[in-house]
Amino acid sequence: MPDGSFAHSQQRSFNPYTDNGGTILAIAGADFTVIAGDTRQSEGYSIQTRYAPKVFRLTDRAVLAVNGFAADGNMFVKKVKQRLEWYRHAHAKDMPLRAIARLIQTMLYAQRFFPYYVYNILGGIEEDGTGAVYSFDPVGSYEREACRAAGAAQSLVQPFLDNQIYFKNQTAAPGQSHPTHLPLPDVLAIVIDSFTSATERHIEVGDGLEIYVVVAKGRSPQGLDTMRGVQEMSARPDGDRMFVIRRDLKKD
Amino acid sequence: MFLTRSEYDRGVNTFSPEGRLFQVEYAIEAIKLGSTTIGVRTPEGVVLGVEKRVQSPLLEASSIEKIMEIDRHLGCAMSGLTADARTMIDHARVTAQNHAFTYDERIKVESVTQAVCDLALRFGESVHDEDALMSRPFGVALLIAGIDENGPQLFHTDPSGTFVRYDAKAIGSGSEAAQSELQDKWHKQMSLQEAQILTLRVLKQVMEEKLDHHNVQLAQVTPDKGFEIINEVRLKEIIDLM
Amino acid sequence: MDHFPTNWGRPRNDAFDPYATYPLHQRATAKDTFAEGVQHTQQPIVTGTSVIGIMFKDGVMLAADNLASYGSLARFKDIQRLHPVGSSTVLGASGDMSDFQALQAILDDLTTDEFTYQDGHDLGPAEVHEYLSRVMYARRSKMDPLWNSLLVGGFRDGKRFLGYVDLLGTTYSAPSIATGYGAYIAIPLLRAAVDGKEDTLTEDAARALLHECMRVLFYRDARSLDKYQLATVTADGVRISDQIPIETEWRFAEGIRGYGAQTQ
Repeated sequence: MPDGSFAHSQQRSFNPYTDNGGTILAIAGADFTVIAGDTRQSEGYSIQTRYAPKVFRLTDRAVLAVNGFAADGNMFVKKVKQRLEWYRHAHAKDMPLRAIARLIQTMLYAQRFFPYYVYNILGGIEEDGTGAVYSFDPVGSYEREACRAAGAAQSLVQPFLDNQIYFKNQTAAPGQSHPTHLPLPDVLAIVIDSFTSATERHIEVGDGLEIYVVVAKGRSPQGLDTMRGVQEMSARPDGDRMFVIRRDLKKD
Repeated sequence: MFLTRSEYDRGVNTFSPEGRLFQVEYAIEAIKLGSTTIGVRTPEGVVLGVEKRVQSPLLEASSIEKIMEIDRHLGCAMSGLTADARTMIDHARVTAQNHAFTYDERIKVESVTQAVCDLALRFGESVHDEDALMSRPFGVALLIAGIDENGPQLFHTDPSGTFVRYDAKAIGSGSEAAQSELQDKWHKQMSLQEAQILTLRVLKQVMEEKLDHHNVQLAQVTPDKGFEIINEVRLKEIIDLM
Repeated sequence: MDHFPTNWGRPRNDAFDPYATYPLHQRATAKDTFAEGVQHTQQPIVTGTSVIGIMFKDGVMLAADNLASYGSLARFKDIQRLHPVGSSTVLGASGDMSDFQALQAILDDLTTDEFTYQDGHDLGPAEVHEYLSRVMYARRSKMDPLWNSLLVGGFRDGKRFLGYVDLLGTTYSAPSIATGYGAYIAIPLLRAAVDGKEDTLTEDAARALLHECMRVLFYRDARSLDKYQLATVTADGVRISDQIPIETEWRFAEGIRGYGAQTQ
């Protein structure tokens, strides 16, 4: 009120959440999975940093991408990693991907009434050697999918993936059918195009791109191992293999 | 005051000068009073067998329960103070279910065994603010049978909380004779049926009564059907094959 | 002892009907101040404005002015907002100054405890930053935040460190960081001069850059002061400067038309 009084008692409540922008994406192949995220962290119109990783290696064959409220995301990843270590001590093995997916659900749902404000995408290799992607909402609903985009540019990227991965709105040539899985080079091209496009059209996406590739044990990395600027981070050369590709994205 | 030797078995948590916990050792002795229980592992699955002592003709033999299911892929046979096994099996069941709920996978045989053994040494005087403890050690030994990604497995647990994996193991009153018989007869490529017959033969040797489908119980864990107690009709068929 | 059972267990209120002249059923129940629970800090009171920090060739440098404001009142003009932690870290704070002082106490206790162990370990900048992020996130999760944006700078084992933590527990690292208005006004200048040039930027150039940014901030940020301090952390340890005055030039204001106090 102009006279200094208040019609209602004033209460400014504290908002424990914020949105730190960015986008993540994962695509499963027949025997590999690609998990990617940009590295920009922002709040409002400010770029806080050009390099804050959103994609994390969990085990030799599991990678987690986390997007939303960065403080919750970092805490959540920390707790997941802690649970994975406890599991390794208790059960003398790395947690399988499907078990990690269920664990993430229980951890998210445990915070149902004060949620972690994060969208998770888990990618990696399943026990049967197939590539897999699991996507989650902030309170733990999850499903296994072939591909998923989340975060600021989800609405830009997901329709593109629907078209390029699921072949939505495409008609196969007469007598032919669409492939169920794409080869790795095609998938990488789609991922990179997704992020360069999202960078063009979304102010919260850009700066850097981190792409994790997990290839099932005994399967070909399809030329990735000799690609320039690829860093291999496999625990063993004869097990599942993991690679990171780092690319610049536009900084404007 | 100096404690004489016999006084070291008063406090359940008091070591003797030789470094022994008498109460735990006595508990292990108690198993040897229990009925004979046998477990046999084969590449096709694990077989569990128990003797049911039918002490009276008026006793309903089917009400004696010495083999229990822990989860679909896990079974358990006991010998000793069988009432004590309830606590342990309850714990094993809860652990297995929690694992399935949290991880969407079957718990490993060794992991449930470890979980059960974690309970074993939680006895003694309870301190304020602590969880209520048991006043004495468990008086029961378990044979835990199951199948996981490491294949069919058989574990033996005792009141000290120690667990060991066996190819074939006998516990209870007839265990000494039974164990040496198992050592003679068990071989690596045993079929499930051979294991059933071996179990019954060994039980028969150490039992005082004549073995029939009322005074023994057989169970098995197989990859296809998981844990199952073999019903009397089938049990009779197997007995006839002996 | 109150002889009215309806009052038992309730807070006393002598201001209302102290002689119990109303019949029991008509007595208004006294209002309990704490009925809705304890009120946590839900706004900052005495505040500090921007802190700016950069990496340079030999370490990191932070700057913060000496003002603590009470709303728009320039209340305390001799406040230090840079605080050394151990021998290789400095903490700079904007936001609520009482919360900052509470944090200083917590960190001082922590370094003292760490010192008394005499185990050859002490906290470096990365550890202090991690610890502060835990404290800040824990408090926000209790809906009782410490109302600050913090910069942690340091140099240890040949490595520079510059990190940010705020009241939400949000964290990040970058070659140049600024809190508050600095994020809008100083960051463009800092990024242009620092990012990608951390390994060549000299201490003198870094000092000049921060001085220029503090001047620009003083011109544009109404809650700032023309007096600030610099913290420099290098292999030699933490140095916090004396108060540095900012020279200003206001004659140009005479010629500005279109806003301000001029009448024509």
